[in-house]
Formats: sequence, structure tokens, C-alpha cells
Amino acid sequence: MKRLCSGLISIVLPPLALFAIVAAAWQWFVVAYHVKPYLLPSPLAVGAALIRDAPLLGSAVLYTGSAALLGFGASLILGTLIAFAFSQSRILRSSGYPYFIFLQTVPIVAIAPLIVRWCGNGFHSVVLVATILSLFPILSNATQGLLQIDSNLLDLFRLNNASRWQMLTKLRFPSAVPAICAGARTASGLAVVGAIVGEFFVGYGSKRFGLGYLINSTNDQLQIDRLFAAVLTSTLFGIAIFALVNLASVTVLSRWYDGPVEHRN
Amino acid sequence: MTIANYKLTSGSSWREGVGGVLAGLQFVICNSQLPFRNLCSLGLLALCLGCGGPTSSLDKPNLPSGAASSVTPSSVIAPVAVTLALNWFPEAEHGGFYAALVHGYFSEEGLNVTIRGGGPKVPVIADVASGVVEFGVDNADKLLLGRVQQADVVAVMAPIQDSPRCIMVHKSEGIASLKDLAGRKPFTLAMNTGQPFAQFLMQQVDLSGTQITSYPGNVAQFLLEPKYGQQAYSFSEPFVAEQQGGDPVCLMLSELGFNTYTSLLITRGELIEQQPELVAKMTRASIRGWKKYLAEPDETNRHIHEQNTQMGLDVLAFGVGALQPLCLPNDFAAERLGTMTAERWHSLASQMTEIGSLPADSVKPEAAFTLRFVTEK
Repeated sequence: MKRLCSGLISIVLPPLALFAIVAAAWQWFVVAYHVKPYLLPSPLAVGAALIRDAPLLGSAVLYTGSAALLGFGASLILGTLIAFAFSQSRILRSSGYPYFIFLQTVPIVAIAPLIVRWCGNGFHSVVLVATILSLFPILSNATQGLLQIDSNLLDLFRLNNASRWQMLTKLRFPSAVPAICAGARTASGLAVVGAIVGEFFVGYGSKRFGLGYLINSTNDQLQIDRLFAAVLTSTLFGIAIFALVNLASVTVLSRWYDGPVEHRN
Repeated sequence: MTIANYKLTSGSSWREGVGGVLAGLQFVICNSQLPFRNLCSLGLLALCLGCGGPTSSLDKPNLPSGAASSVTPSSVIAPVAVTLALNWFPEAEHGGFYAALVHGYFSEEGLNVTIRGGGPKVPVIADVASGVVEFGVDNADKLLLGRVQQADVVAVMAPIQDSPRCIMVHKSEGIASLKDLAGRKPFTLAMNTGQPFAQFLMQQVDLSGTQITSYPGNVAQFLLEPKYGQQAYSFSEPFVAEQQGGDPVCLMLSELGFNTYTSLLITRGELIEQQPELVAKMTRASIRGWKKYLAEPDETNRHIHEQNTQMGLDVLAFGVGALQPLCLPNDFAAERLGTMTAERWHSLASQMTEIGSLPADSVKPEAAFTLRFVTEK
């Protein structure tokens, strides 16, 4: 227990100390040089805005968070299923894969207005943007994981006349789980970004606002301290989702495998 | 002078290109009033020296903004170079300023004016307040929002008396006024809810059943959906919508009592104190430009069209027609063009306080504008 505590302190303390130093330097800079709040607010002003806007930011996190989580879930399922198909046929893979790269490289801010036009306004369009943005890392990692199989194991399955379905469910999928988890970690952050970008273009309703809306509107009103507070909340929320997915993948992996190298004892 | 100019004029090798961009960056920073400007110039200087850029331009002392760009023979008095930053892509609402440029009114005053086009999120207030540009064009509500954040921006001239701000809806829906929007369901309203006019509308009219979404910047969605309204300027979007086969009708925000001065000529308080004659020249030429634009807009419109080819000559011609009654309302004498009233500024400030855009007693409306240059002959 004691070792755990000291371990925790050694992890938490250095970044906190750095944060305190940076915040203090920032505060000093703003005060000493009389930087005007429309250019750069002081950390104390940002803190005050964070407290003042807490109820608003809280409800915004709920909206953005559910859109991001749904988008992430959809891309996890969809990405894995498409990867299943890709692992079964070389033709399917070589003809389809380039288009999914396209999905990754298309500028999402450019197609988000189109998505609104085609799918209408509202929550589902935000989920769709989050899905599109987070699909590729899962698809690409899962495909790779399903294909890179130990050739000895493959031979073993073939010798025993295993069917395609048996190979997929008993060999390929289990071996691909670590790769899918790696993809999920990248995708989780992207889903949050996707939801916020989606909210730049889509509204939920008259009094329901996500983080993307808050970022947009505080900027419109030149309230830079509130803008910082909204951006900070978005960032912290992104980290929280990332941590959650990380925790989930470590749990999953430790049940079936030794886990990724960095988590092995 | 802009970064873009620097890029274009610098030489062909990548080193010079990099140097040019850095010098442009340095220009922006040196002319902003950020406290670290000297530090930044030093850092950039070191960078430029390191990559062999055009160091000669960096050896110059930090001249006041604009002066560095005009290299003229010493016998001629150099025109004063100033930049006017627009709040949107060049369009009819900026017409008078372009007219002053096209018809040489600025140069008659000894000014070499560069008009910088704007767009979504362009920080006009911040750039004017920090001295990146000398003058800007923006609306009265933005100016008050900036003043709350200690941006010392002051309006010196208001070319458009009545706000062109409206909500554009379909004629076929039979909506006669903004009050009629109350309780409509389903109905989608596209507007930038962060803006005070939208918050005023939401406070005055019960829009709880309305789906409110971001302003898309075009009329495509409007044409698709009958139960749809969007923010618009009466001189612009309705024309485009009609051209595409729509049946737009404008519900004016000013009829609801929210009437902001639009396309104000703004500058920073410090410049008014230090160079009042410069501000006077700029204001005088701009007023002349607006009078000319309302009377004979064609040449100016061709110039605006060149700057912003998205704006067709027909839209611009329609725009001037729609601006006429807004710039010169019925009982308003033409020679008063550009003037403002304290009542209007006070009522805007109190409306914005009421909707929560401004903290109570946070701005003095009388400090937000001055009439000394409009009335000065």
C-alpha cells in the first residue's frame, strides 16, 4: 500500500508541479505586461470562467460526450466487421481499402456541412461525424491484426480441417484483439474531436448546447476567458475518454493475454 | 503591407521564401502591441539570419505601422499607408469604402489605403485594438463586446443607419413577423446563437420548439426545407435565394426593436488621441465614398466583384438598392450620412445587458463612439 502511494505520488506530482509553474509564469506575464483580456486571459480569469460556466459546461459535456461515445461505439463495431470482411478476401481488401483511406484523409470540416444537408440537423449527424473520424484507426488496426497470424498456428488449424468461420472466430479474432484495442485508443480521442467538429455545424435544439457550440459562440462574443474554459473542458474530457478506453483495453487484454508489454509484470 | 504581399514579392529560392514569410510574421508582431514583440523580433531575426533570408529588411528599426512599406524618393511626400480590415468578404455593405478607394478619395487625402477582406471568425476588433491594422469595419454589438474585454475600439462613422439584419423565411409559410415564429414546430432556424441579435430574438420570442442550428453561410438548406429560416442581410441572401427559385421574405430585427449600427468605421482610441488628423482624413474620404456609392455604384461594384468573384454584379446591384433606404431612411437628410446618436448606442447597450451579453454597467456607450470626425468639415 505504501509503495502504491509513493508510486502514485511520483506519477502525479511532476506534471502537477509543471502545471503550477506554467500557470504562475502565465499569470505573471499577463499582469506584468498588462496583456488585455481580448488577446490572452489570465489563468485566474480562466479559472473563474470555468467555475462560473460549470453548469453550462457540465451539460455540454453530456451532449458532446454521448455523441462521441455513440460515434466511437459505432466505429468500433463497424470497423471490426469491415475488417472481418477484408480478412476473408484479398479482392475485397485491395478494392475497398483505398476508399477507407479516403475517409481518413478527407477534411472533415469540408464534408460536415454536406452531412448536415444529407442527413439533416440534430444529434444523429454529430454522431455520424464522430463515427467517420474515428473509423479508420480501428479498421486499419483490426485488418492488420486479423491478417498477421502466426503461420504455425495457421498450419495447425489447416491440418485439422478448420472451416473459415472457425479460423476467424477461434484464431484470427482472438489474435487481433490487441491490435483492435490499439486502434480503439487512437479512435477514442478522434471521436471526441469529431463530435466537437460536428457541433460546429449542427445544433441540437434551442436550449441544448454541446462543447462545439460553446467554443464557437464564446469566440463570436470575444469572451476569450470562456473560450479557454470550454477548450480546457474539451481537452480534459478527451483525456478522460482516452483513459477509460485504455483501462477497458488493459482489462480485456489482461484476461486473455499477458497484455501489452508496458503493462506486463 | 501583408504577409501575402511579402510572400509574393520575395524571391524564388525557398530560403528567401522562408525569410519573407518570417519577415511578414515579424511585421505583424511588431505592429501588434503584444508586450513580447521585441523578444519575438529578436527570435525571428535569429531564425532569418540562420536560414539566409533577406536580412536587409530586418535591419530596419521598428517603424510605425505602414511606414515601412512605402519606399519613395525623398523629394515626394509619401502617402500614409493604412490598412482597413473588413469583417466579411467584400460585399455591398462595404461599398462606400471601396468607392473611396476606386474614385481616389483616399489618395486625395494623402492616404494609401489597403482594404483587407474578411471572412468568418476574422478578428477585426482585436486587430484594430492591438494596432495590427489602423482601421476596421464591424458592427456596433461587436464593438461593445470588444470594449468589455478592454479592447479600446471607437466608432467614428456609421454609414448604415438601419440594420439590414433579418431572419429570412419562406413566403409560402405565411409568417408575417418575427413574433409569429413563436411556438412553431417543427421549424429550423439557422443563426449564430452567440451573436447578440440571436440572443435578443431568443429572449423576445419563445423558440423552445425550434431547432436552432449554426448559420451555414449559404442558402442551400433554405431552398430545400420549407420550414426553415436563417439569419440574413436584407441586401444579400434574399437575392441569391430568389435567383435559385426560392420565395424568401425578410423579417427585420429592427422591427423587433434591435437596431445595431452596421459596417461602422472603427479605429483605436489611442490613434484618435495621437493622430486625429489621420482619422479625420479617413472619415472624410469614407463619407464621400459612401455618398458616391449610393449614387453611382457601378464602377465600385465592378471592383468589389474583382476582389470577390463569388459576389455577382447582379447581387451587388441589388445590394445597393436594398442599402439605399437603410443608409438614408425617409426623414434622414443626405448630408447627415455617417452620423450616430447617443440614444441608439445607449439602447443597444441596455438591450445587450438585458440579454446577458454584457455585464451590467460594464461599458459606457458614450465612450464607444465619437462624432467629432463626422461633424468636422
